[in-house]
Amino acid sequence: MTYLGLKGELIKKGAEAELYKVTFLGLPAILKRRVPKPYRARELDEYIRRTRTAHEVTMMLHARACGVPVPAIYDVDPDEGVIVMEYIPGPTLRELTSRGVDVKPIFRLVGFYVGRMHRGQVVHGDLTPANIVVPEAEKPFFVDFGLSERTGELEALGTDVHLMLRALESTHYLKVKELFNSFLEGYREVMGARAEEVFKKVLEIRRRGRYVEERRAKVR
Amino acid sequence: MPRVAVLGIESTAHTFGCGVALDDGRILSNVNSTYTPKVGGIHPRESSQHHSSVAPQVVRRALEEAGLSFEEIDAIAVTLGPGLGPCLRVGATIARALSIVHGKPLVPVNHAVAHIEIAKLATGLEDPLIVFVSGGNTIIASYSDGRYRFFGETLDLALGNMLDSFAREAGLPHPGGPKVEELAQRGTKLLRLPYIVKGQDISLSGLLTAAIKLLKEGCRLEDLCYSVQEYAFDMLAEVAERALAYTEKKELVLTGGVARNRELQRKLRIVAEEHGASFGVVPPELAGDNGAMIAWTGALAYKHGVVVEVEKSYVKPRWRLDEVDVPWVEG
Repeated sequence: MTYLGLKGELIKKGAEAELYKVTFLGLPAILKRRVPKPYRARELDEYIRRTRTAHEVTMMLHARACGVPVPAIYDVDPDEGVIVMEYIPGPTLRELTSRGVDVKPIFRLVGFYVGRMHRGQVVHGDLTPANIVVPEAEKPFFVDFGLSERTGELEALGTDVHLMLRALESTHYLKVKELFNSFLEGYREVMGARAEEVFKKVLEIRRRGRYVEERRAKVR
Repeated sequence: MPRVAVLGIESTAHTFGCGVALDDGRILSNVNSTYTPKVGGIHPRESSQHHSSVAPQVVRRALEEAGLSFEEIDAIAVTLGPGLGPCLRVGATIARALSIVHGKPLVPVNHAVAHIEIAKLATGLEDPLIVFVSGGNTIIASYSDGRYRFFGETLDLALGNMLDSFAREAGLPHPGGPKVEELAQRGTKLLRLPYIVKGQDISLSGLLTAAIKLLKEGCRLEDLCYSVQEYAFDMLAEVAERALAYTEKKELVLTGGVARNRELQRKLRIVAEEHGASFGVVPPELAGDNGAMIAWTGALAYKHGVVVEVEKSYVKPRWRLDEVDVPWVEG
């Protein structure tokens, strides 16, 4: 694929977008392109790709302004569904966790930065270990803000944290407790008392799901 | 172990069903009777009364068609949940009685697991990403370490429930899903509705509210049916695609009553193809709630020693899919 004469090597084909490793003005960069979805009606498809691309860039800048590590934006073209951004070398937190590395300190940092995001009214919207890149001996970088929201509502914050918990349960369920506790530790550090409210919300969201054991007591 | 024959009883919601399955995957019979409300949706009490009245003949016919007597049955399987309490209790009561009278072990079956197992049996897929959509369920799941685990689900309404509710508002008879599908084929204009994907989950209640509002404003019903399906199915397809990319499963299976919808099948087939995964759909006669799926899942469970004492065979209206160990699935 080429964009602005950039030729790149496809490094990841995600569900929504393709990632290419390119060189942009001499810098190693990632070109993210939201591809058209053949199963969607064309109008809806174009609308979703255009708005999500523009929105993602805006939200990455907001997150950066909150002091959260996110790749720097180099260029954007919403009509093409293209974002060019800084290349962050390293495995995703999901890969790292599966390797059996002690990731508890990283989860604490993740919680800390998510706290910063939430304090700054940035809700990631797809907060899973697969969307966090961890360069060697450095802080975790957050990517994939396509589903993020600009809000400070408890419900949205809770949904974000709930998603992290769910992602841990679905792939790293043996370590859920310790990793999620580390996450909460870092989160509390920034959010203070508000963290408990968010956590209460997480439990409430969990109960709201269909057929949840915890819900029985309330129903009877 | 010699051949095992299991009689399965289903009574989760509007269908009372009974089937007989062998452990080699043969379905010997599948007899079902569905309660259709005269007005509105499923009334749990009326549905349970329907179940009580048809149960004896349904069970008898299932045995007749299978060509077996109770002596030749090895175990009685029954759905204990999730579902509507009054309906579940009818099936459970009958299964307990049969278990005691004929001295056969009782096998507890989770309704969602049964929809998954019957789809795997019918399609031949072994370790698929599962899209389970029905009147009461909208689940994207896959097997991992001993259980089927959730990847995503609806945060509010189930897909089938949403389609039926919309159809009801539009004056279409129950069950409305198939009617919506029919009208949608004549839709030409895509109306703007809320598209809500939250991470791995979808939300359908806002879509229903907005669609009803447009309906009352006089929008053409065909266009609305088309748009409602388009939005709802695209949301589901997007989450399914994300799940496929995330779990890297090489198979995708569609099961549950709404699996009969051709447009949904088309979209999910494309999603599977895009990710190099094979795609399978549960056949129509096994898509909705049925007795055969309980019998087959019961056979799998029974062979792995899953039984329950009659005294402890409580119904579990909120028995979640990921609470169930499935020792018969190979990791």
